[in-house]
Amino acid sequence: MSILASGGFWAFVGVVAGIYTILSLGLQVQFGFAGLLNFGQVGFMALGAYTMAILVVKEGWSMWLAAPLGVVAAAVGGLLLGLPTLRLRADYFAIVTIAFSEIIRYVATNETSLTGGTQGTIALGPIGTASQYNGGWSTFQTYVQRTLGFSSADATMLVIVWAVAVVLLTLTWLALRTPWGRVLRAVRDDEDAAASLGKNVFAYKLQALALGAALAGVAGLFYAWEFSFFSPDDFEPLLTFFAWMILLLGGIGRVWAVPVGALVFGFIFAGTRFLNFAPFTWVASDERAYIRLIIIGLIILVLVVLRPQGLLGNRREMVLE
Amino acid sequence: MSAILEVENVVRAFGAIRAVDGATFTVEEHSVTGLIGPNGAGKTTLFATIAGSLKPSSGRIVFSGRRIDRKPAYRVARAGVVRTYQAARVLTRMSVLDNLLLASKDHPGEGLTGIVLRPRASRDHERRTRARALELLALVGLDSHAHAYAGTLSGGQRKLLDLARVLMLEPSLVLLDEPMAGVAPTLRIELLEHILAVRRELGITFLVVEHDLDFVMQAADRVVVMNEGRVLAIGTPAEVRANEQVVDAYLGTAH
Repeated sequence: MSILASGGFWAFVGVVAGIYTILSLGLQVQFGFAGLLNFGQVGFMALGAYTMAILVVKEGWSMWLAAPLGVVAAAVGGLLLGLPTLRLRADYFAIVTIAFSEIIRYVATNETSLTGGTQGTIALGPIGTASQYNGGWSTFQTYVQRTLGFSSADATMLVIVWAVAVVLLTLTWLALRTPWGRVLRAVRDDEDAAASLGKNVFAYKLQALALGAALAGVAGLFYAWEFSFFSPDDFEPLLTFFAWMILLLGGIGRVWAVPVGALVFGFIFAGTRFLNFAPFTWVASDERAYIRLIIIGLIILVLVVLRPQGLLGNRREMVLE
Repeated sequence: MSAILEVENVVRAFGAIRAVDGATFTVEEHSVTGLIGPNGAGKTTLFATIAGSLKPSSGRIVFSGRRIDRKPAYRVARAGVVRTYQAARVLTRMSVLDNLLLASKDHPGEGLTGIVLRPRASRDHERRTRARALELLALVGLDSHAHAYAGTLSGGQRKLLDLARVLMLEPSLVLLDEPMAGVAPTLRIELLEHILAVRRELGITFLVVEHDLDFVMQAADRVVVMNEGRVLAIGTPAEVRANEQVVDAYLGTAH
């Protein structure tokens, strides 16, 4: 049980929750405010991470240029996906998004010369060299650590991720309180009514999709930096559904519900790995990992019955017709 | 008087069914024109076609001298032709006031570049919009509900909100789809008075689909009667009422 008391472990859990916050915030913009059923959020995350890593390793770019370009690549991915598909009905759009994220993952798996293929980013460089994309990031992180006077790298990462998350949450919250956000909510609730009030529904959906994708791109960057290595397997559709669970836990249509959902999700997910007592020990330890998903599933079930608006959602808005 | 809207040979087919089958008529500027006809005559389809939510299969629709039949709904609305729906499409999860603010024209704050680059213009516009919205809410008697969710309003109140919201857009032509349906009798008179006052004071033209013939006869200057996708008769309420064909269409030929 010593790991339970280890600060490093819980800092790691906090970092991951911060990354999930940014990823799910994108989904909140797309679904919570524009009504877009996006099941391919992880694809945009992959675009951000891979663009940054490839530019750093293959083109020798500075991280400070490569990282913003990763975010731009994710946003452009959103635009390209949205242009032909956003006129589809919501359920068809949802199917296309999941196909999109799988296409990204399969391309990353098979285009070995571009992405390193199944071996992941370690194979990005010339054969026989183990390539690293996070040299620039490590330098920056060490600088921050020294400036803050922290002793641990984990704590430093925790502070950086959450500082970025809070800035992004605040910016999103402010943007959604403007007249622009008002139109977005109208598009979500009744797009025909919005169109008959002169709103270009398609343009608003496209903007929401691209912004949400850009946020996923940011999450992808931090994911890459936190783990120092990634491969196509890191971008399985399951991650998108984690983001959806976070949205359901926290509450749909509320910006500040996202970090709450992500923290609850993160700590349940991490905490359930300590279920090493009966009756959980009756199950083999490698299979025990699934128990945490069962537990989260049960919590969501209970929540849907007792508190369908999520932890921080607005119940009145759910029942009005 | 000149025509503000010209509908010329408009056809709208769904597969083999021609819901609107060559309709031709004009709407005079500043008039209240009634559009009536038995169920299935194609009135609502024609409305959606004029408003741009459906594209005509053939024919032309000209508004203030410009063709609008190939424009998407939001562009038709911006050009000044605004429709309402049979069941008022208010945004239930927003406040009554937000419903009106949403209907502001050319709001710089509704664009992402506007909120970043022109925050002051956006704030000024929002302030003017808010003042106008409160005026209109007072006009239709919903000012005490300004901050309630629109979803808490009754059917009749929603129609009033819808009317106020349409007026926010400063339209030239308003298409009302059954404004009296689902409205309590006491509210009906109020609604009618609002429509007539708006026409008088703002010079807005109305094209109204309505089943309540009393309302049509009272409010309309001209009446267009449709049957089976075509225009059967056009005239003043009195002329239309005296028309044998119209009576047949409504009651069947064997009456």
